[in-house]
Amino acid sequence: MRIRARSTSWLRATAAVIATVALVSGCSVTSPNTAADANTLTYAINGGTLSGGKMDIHSSAFQATALVMRNSFDSLVYEKADGSFVPWLATSWQISDDGLHYTFDLRHDVTFHDGEPFNAEAVKANFEHVVAPETASADAASLIGYAETGGFYAGTAVVDKYTVRVDFNRPYAPFLQAVSTAKLGFYSPATLRDNAAQLPAGGPGISVGTGPYVLTEYTPDQSIVFTANKDYNWAPEGSTHEGAPAIEKLVFRILPESSVRTGALTSGQAQIASDITPNTVGQIGDDFSIENVTMPGLPYTLFLNEAHGVFADENVRRAFALGVDIGPAVASIYQGQAKRAWSILSPATPNSYDPSLEDSWTFDPDQANALLDASGWTKRDSDGYRTKDGARLSARWLAYTPVSDANASLGDVVQSDLRKLGFEIVRDNLEIAQYYEQFNARDYDISDWSFPSVDADVLRAHLHSGGYKNGSSIVDPVVDSLLDDAVATSDPAERAALYRQLQQWNAIHVAMVPITVPTAITAYSKIIKNLSFDLYGQPLFYAASLTTTR
Amino acid sequence: MSLLAAARSRTARTRRVKRMPTPALWAAAGFLLLLALSVVLPGLFTAADPVRTDIGAALLAPGPGHPFGTDQAGRDVLARVIYGSRYSLAIGFGATLIALVAGLVIGSLAGLMRRLGDGVLSRAIEIVMAFPEFLLALIVIAIIGPGELSLLVAVAIAVIPAYARVARVHTLVVKRAGYVEAARTLGVSPTRTVLRHVLPNTLGPLLVMAIMGVGTAITAAAGLSFLGLGPKPPTPEWGLILSEGRNYLATAWWIAVFPGVVITATVIATSILGRHVQALSLGRQR
Amino acid sequence: MTGHRAGQARRTGRPVARLAARLVAVVLVVWGAATVGFFSLRLIPGDPVNVLIGLGSVSERVRDQIREDWGLADPLVVQYLRYLGRLLQGDLGTSYRMQHPVADVIGQQLAPTVQLMVLAIAFALLLACGSALLGRDTRTASVAGLLELVAVSAPTFWIGLVLIGVFGFGLGWFPVVATVGFGALVLPAVTLSIPVAGIISQVLRQGLDDAEALPFVATVRARGASSTRLLLRHTLRHAAASSVTLTGYLVGSLLGGSVLVETVFARPGLGRVALNAIVDRDVPVVLGIIVLAAVVFSLVNLLVDLVADRLDPRLAAEQAHA
Repeated sequence: MRIRARSTSWLRATAAVIATVALVSGCSVTSPNTAADANTLTYAINGGTLSGGKMDIHSSAFQATALVMRNSFDSLVYEKADGSFVPWLATSWQISDDGLHYTFDLRHDVTFHDGEPFNAEAVKANFEHVVAPETASADAASLIGYAETGGFYAGTAVVDKYTVRVDFNRPYAPFLQAVSTAKLGFYSPATLRDNAAQLPAGGPGISVGTGPYVLTEYTPDQSIVFTANKDYNWAPEGSTHEGAPAIEKLVFRILPESSVRTGALTSGQAQIASDITPNTVGQIGDDFSIENVTMPGLPYTLFLNEAHGVFADENVRRAFALGVDIGPAVASIYQGQAKRAWSILSPATPNSYDPSLEDSWTFDPDQANALLDASGWTKRDSDGYRTKDGARLSARWLAYTPVSDANASLGDVVQSDLRKLGFEIVRDNLEIAQYYEQFNARDYDISDWSFPSVDADVLRAHLHSGGYKNGSSIVDPVVDSLLDDAVATSDPAERAALYRQLQQWNAIHVAMVPITVPTAITAYSKIIKNLSFDLYGQPLFYAASLTTTR
Repeated sequence: MSLLAAARSRTARTRRVKRMPTPALWAAAGFLLLLALSVVLPGLFTAADPVRTDIGAALLAPGPGHPFGTDQAGRDVLARVIYGSRYSLAIGFGATLIALVAGLVIGSLAGLMRRLGDGVLSRAIEIVMAFPEFLLALIVIAIIGPGELSLLVAVAIAVIPAYARVARVHTLVVKRAGYVEAARTLGVSPTRTVLRHVLPNTLGPLLVMAIMGVGTAITAAAGLSFLGLGPKPPTPEWGLILSEGRNYLATAWWIAVFPGVVITATVIATSILGRHVQALSLGRQR
Repeated sequence: MTGHRAGQARRTGRPVARLAARLVAVVLVVWGAATVGFFSLRLIPGDPVNVLIGLGSVSERVRDQIREDWGLADPLVVQYLRYLGRLLQGDLGTSYRMQHPVADVIGQQLAPTVQLMVLAIAFALLLACGSALLGRDTRTASVAGLLELVAVSAPTFWIGLVLIGVFGFGLGWFPVVATVGFGALVLPAVTLSIPVAGIISQVLRQGLDDAEALPFVATVRARGASSTRLLLRHTLRHAAASSVTLTGYLVGSLLGGSVLVETVFARPGLGRVALNAIVDRDVPVVLGIIVLAAVVFSLVNLLVDLVADRLDPRLAAEQAHA
């Protein structure tokens, strides 16, 4: 009996402790829609791919790297929304008549965060770092036009202290766009010299650029803190803001769970959240602004690997595309936040999109069945799948974890729809290292991704026989020459015509099945003023400021 | 969890037998019976297809047509939970059975062996126990790749050392009690000794531990599914359903809440049964 | 061999020899874990060079250079011996991904994990004591039993997301986004503590029952000690002694649980490092974590043995024998 009496007092004590803890820590919670500190902004980002050596703009293949690091890294030129270029770190530039030489005149007043001067030597050192074998760059090297087996890029030469010339073996039209991206941004020569091996891991004192914000703290998988660069005075021409940025501190909080990002915003613990998924966008009320930007570049696309298994047969590829009811799936899964894709280029890609492909093909299970019959997949096994010569009509879909909710649901629909045709889809969601292993060996039937890019030349990496992301293993001299011609042409109309031919080629050939045009959804509190967004829908904080009231 | 059962079974001899309230036992048995039935005859409980998507009927709240609602691809959640029982129970029971048998063999071998053999084996058990179970499971999946079967094997391997340890302790108890020596002097064959004396005494506590372990195995598998290392989609495995529904908690709670409740109920039911079995075996020993 | 000697020493009962034998056993377990880890990680399919370069293709020349630089071209035995040699000097190697010393990679993440675990253990003990004492009353025993079962059966990531939704965003009691301060630590620690609390509580309850049935309790009662005193001094001590064997398991389950908790709450820590290292096939880091876990496991076990000796020599002797 007495023991029991004691036990209640124990419980009471426990409750008291818990209540105290709750009270004490409860006090520190901020109320919604106000910044914890007048000049600090907390930004909830997905960022799940940044850890594990993905912080280097020059070597990372992930777009997320460029989007985050943009704050610390400037470019030679700035691309405006209309696709034209204005001076940034370069005051002017000349392209030689044969298209082989790009000469940039640099600003004289730019310094890196570590005090090193920005000059022609720094540009040269950075471009050499991009193409160095130790860097093992995939994306930046592709942007600069470099390939180990003879590409476009020939080298960079210092003309004088503030003039630099980039030389090419063959005309390379996308170069100006390429140098406007963060992936061809500039590290301090000192950090390239001393910290080259640490760049993929990144961090303060390592990821040193010229940008408006200095990376001052980095805790992998938790947060990246940027502090205003007080000396900054080299914004792109035509910027609405000059000098140092107004917001002193940006805290990028890495929150991979989409529901947590949305909750962080709506509860006021973050003032801005990106990568808002369609299934959580409905939870965000009217107190917040929502920016929904259609991404340019390659839409979310399924790559049908022609060099492996059943997709060597064009009939099977066409049956695949006709057998999935894509329209209603996209409408339901993306809840109106993203449109269906019809082409392998997004409508937002300047000077290239072919609108004639819209509504050019419809869900047609009958024709899909007929195509499969025609190719000899006529028998059925005990599970109801088609067979030919005893082998099941089956394709293996390779992806890496974590798979987003939307992509997972789409996969469910594709699998379910094709099952009705007797076509089996096996989905293998692997850990990323294992994925690389099988992807590089092209050991799969289907893979999937989207790749944002403002230049249609993004197709070169995906369609060219030597492209590092040629997921469908396309080897077609016609395609290669169209891509090469497009790269060599600087006339926008001529380039657009060539890219239209490529889009038409895929519509017939069905090497890739475009599914949806991705959108970048960012929601933010109305205390943030003058927030602008780049062409990838990423917030640009340089000109933004915070008000204490809404 | 497994060590908990170990601690419990070790102290069991001195323990007063507390009988479970009978209604709880009946409820647990009834629930497990229903689960078993859903494994064998899922069609008895639902007419819906657990894999076929119906995008026009996505995210429907629980109602007459769909008692548990529908998920983001318009699949019936009840059907997925019912068809999922075979995967989740296969992982739970399969992993536990493998661990039980392997642990029994390794543990009793260690216990019966002379000092050197025992020393080597128990040191080996200790070494593997030094790996946190979850880390061990992750490494096993890295080696054999993700999937239903890998999940089963990974969870099994992770808990084998715990079973082996308990099996060894109980074998030693039997050995010290003199049965083995006596049997040897009487000329009884070693196989017979093991079957007659060692196994019955080690199996009891291990079985109790195993019944408790089924739930832990299902929970561990759910954790691995959450990390994306579980079964291949669209397998309606409970952990995978739970994981796929986690970002819909605020908008469509039913996707993740129902499988969560079923997992918890399964673990509770097996535990209640486990305690009863333990109480029975103690009663018999008395 | 050594295990055998350790057993003998235990039985002879000379404290110094016993301690020495136990220390030898610690070294043995760590060496064993490092060895098992080293060879089993080689079983993971795939070329480590691919891990080092990631996406994209590089020439065979560069691949050979990488193999050379990382010593991957040597026979496995040579690599193993070199690894052991470095380990003896306290060098855990260099991360493939981060190109940082493994000791640094782990060291940087040690503090957040230790903070999380210490608070989680504190919460777990608090919850467990509450539940164990609740369970002593026959009327509330079934409630306690049910709570324990729910605690051990609900998946960790699930508990975490529900707590975030309710206490983080709904009620706004604890910050989820903040990265510093005690408040930010509460929800992750509670999440991690719940399954652990369920287990400790079950064992504690069992231990209390068993202890009460022992003859000495009657003796103590006869001497006129109050129930409270009895409970706290003798019963708890005895119960604790029987559950200290759990600690090894608890260390493992805390580290395992931290993988999920740190993922759900997006916290840095050893769990994340372990998961990322496995996912990225960063073998040196995985090995480093294995070695660390083995050291902690062995030392905690050693400590537990010593404490058990102190608390209840009779029990310790029995355990040593078993």
